[in-house]
Amino acid sequence: MRFDPPDTYWKKDVALFFSRRFALILKMLYPIAIIVPVAASGMPAKYAAAVIGIVAVMAGTFGAGESLTVDLNDGILMRVALTPLSPYRLVFEILAVNAVLDLVQLLPALLIVYLLHPVPIVWMLAATITVFATLVTANCIGIFIANFTSSPADVLLYATAILFPLIYVSGFFRNQHPTGVLQTLRGFVPFSYTDDALKTVFGLTTGTTPLEIFIYPTIICAVLAFAVCLTAPRLLSQRL
Amino acid sequence: MRLTTDLRGGRYNSRAMRSNTGNTPPALEAMKISRLYKSSGRGVSDVSLSVAPGEVFGLMGPNGSGKSTLLRVLSTAIPPDSGGFRVCGMDGLTQKRKVRASMGLMVDRPTHYDDLTGRANAYFFARSYGMEEAKAEGALAELFDYFDLAEYADDRVKTYSYGMGKKLALIEAMAHGPEVLLLDEPSLGLDYTSQLAYQGRIRDLADEGVAILLASNQVDEVESLCDRAAFLHRGKVVAEGTPEDLISRVEGVRRIVATLRNPVEYGSLTEVGGVQRVVPEGRDLIIHCEERPGIVADVVAGVVRSGGDIVNLSVQRPNLEDVFVQLTGEALKDEV
Repeated sequence: MRFDPPDTYWKKDVALFFSRRFALILKMLYPIAIIVPVAASGMPAKYAAAVIGIVAVMAGTFGAGESLTVDLNDGILMRVALTPLSPYRLVFEILAVNAVLDLVQLLPALLIVYLLHPVPIVWMLAATITVFATLVTANCIGIFIANFTSSPADVLLYATAILFPLIYVSGFFRNQHPTGVLQTLRGFVPFSYTDDALKTVFGLTTGTTPLEIFIYPTIICAVLAFAVCLTAPRLLSQRL
Repeated sequence: MRLTTDLRGGRYNSRAMRSNTGNTPPALEAMKISRLYKSSGRGVSDVSLSVAPGEVFGLMGPNGSGKSTLLRVLSTAIPPDSGGFRVCGMDGLTQKRKVRASMGLMVDRPTHYDDLTGRANAYFFARSYGMEEAKAEGALAELFDYFDLAEYADDRVKTYSYGMGKKLALIEAMAHGPEVLLLDEPSLGLDYTSQLAYQGRIRDLADEGVAILLASNQVDEVESLCDRAAFLHRGKVVAEGTPEDLISRVEGVRRIVATLRNPVEYGSLTEVGGVQRVVPEGRDLIIHCEERPGIVADVVAGVVRSGGDIVNLSVQRPNLEDVFVQLTGEALKDEV
């Protein structure tokens, strides 16, 4: 399989990802620079887990939202949309490739975390999968936001408005032991499973099982991905 | 079929050879298209036109006249408020993806993925239009060579000049062998050699049966390249026909082109009797005026009075721009 020259949208994004070497080095290093010191420190487990969760949420949301907004403003995405490619397929490719590339950036840091905090392999898998689910969710949010934004500054504003309540409900910092409606809502936010899996990696015990982490975020992400793909005709329409 | 050749501006034109399109169903047919922007109230209104296979159709009009809006509608980028269009028999509103597959498109401000090479950009678009790998590579190699871009094909697009970017956009529009080509200001920014290459390619494609709609304000280009042309003014088609027919509507108008050694303040020239307007183009002053005895002498005297040092002077027959001015009272290009 060759990526350059690319014959599909996702391969084009992979080719672009690897084409800028300096940017690539920075992209690969910044999660390590943030996460590894946290993992190596004696920081309480709930905060260490929160830092990694927030990095994943921010990387996914801002990455997709900003790059899409720039491409839309530039006109290049509109030009691609005027090829016979299905707009739904295009948006799905944008979502999938961005989430996978985000995971590629986070994976070295996660592997170092697992080395520093050895846990059963099922929890390593669960944590990795749920981080990916968080990235997919964050990218869904980023793509959704790009439907309404006209500049990267807009992305920041809209993302903040959407992410703050979700981060609160997920229990990264507050709402650690929710009850009632908040507890129900927490079960619908994939970030919360990331938080639970990472807390377990850092030595805390939560009530969430690996099976729940494998199943629930996957279902939620599938629904979110489907929903965000439905925005394709609007997202890829001419901005006037 | 009438076989003639038409020499204009020193360029060979096989227009008449392509003009037998009367009985062929149109490759592109716009029917009463209206699209007005809510913010400005501008756009197009009730525009109908058709382009037959093998025909080159020029769309002219000043900035804001609706050319790009019409091309946006026809390229399926935006839906019309009312009306419709067909491309190769397919409905442009309900069969968008099939319509897109049969069209080549060059937008007015082409953009590319700057961190990819020119070849990678063009290959991505060719494959997006459904070309097979080998065919795409073959077609692109030929086009890069034709447009003199082969040497730079593996350079990143961010190193390209504006003209090279335009040539790359032309390659992307043509590579997949579309049946209809929509080109918005295709030659703007191209150097002379590239313009000749582009025009040669357009003629070749038309000879192969491709229907071409090009929006341009390059009067020479439209006159030499297009079988028919339409003027858009404030969103409406105000005239349509062959360039010869359109120009024949202008009688009693001449254009005097004075090449000056130095720029001058030429405002007083408009006070010369019979002068309709004065447009500067580089070192040239183009004076549109009535045809009457002594007007050339009066204009020359006026230029000299303004301090102009004339190094060359020619009196030319009217062109499409004069037709537009006479029809609308406005200029195609911005004037001072």
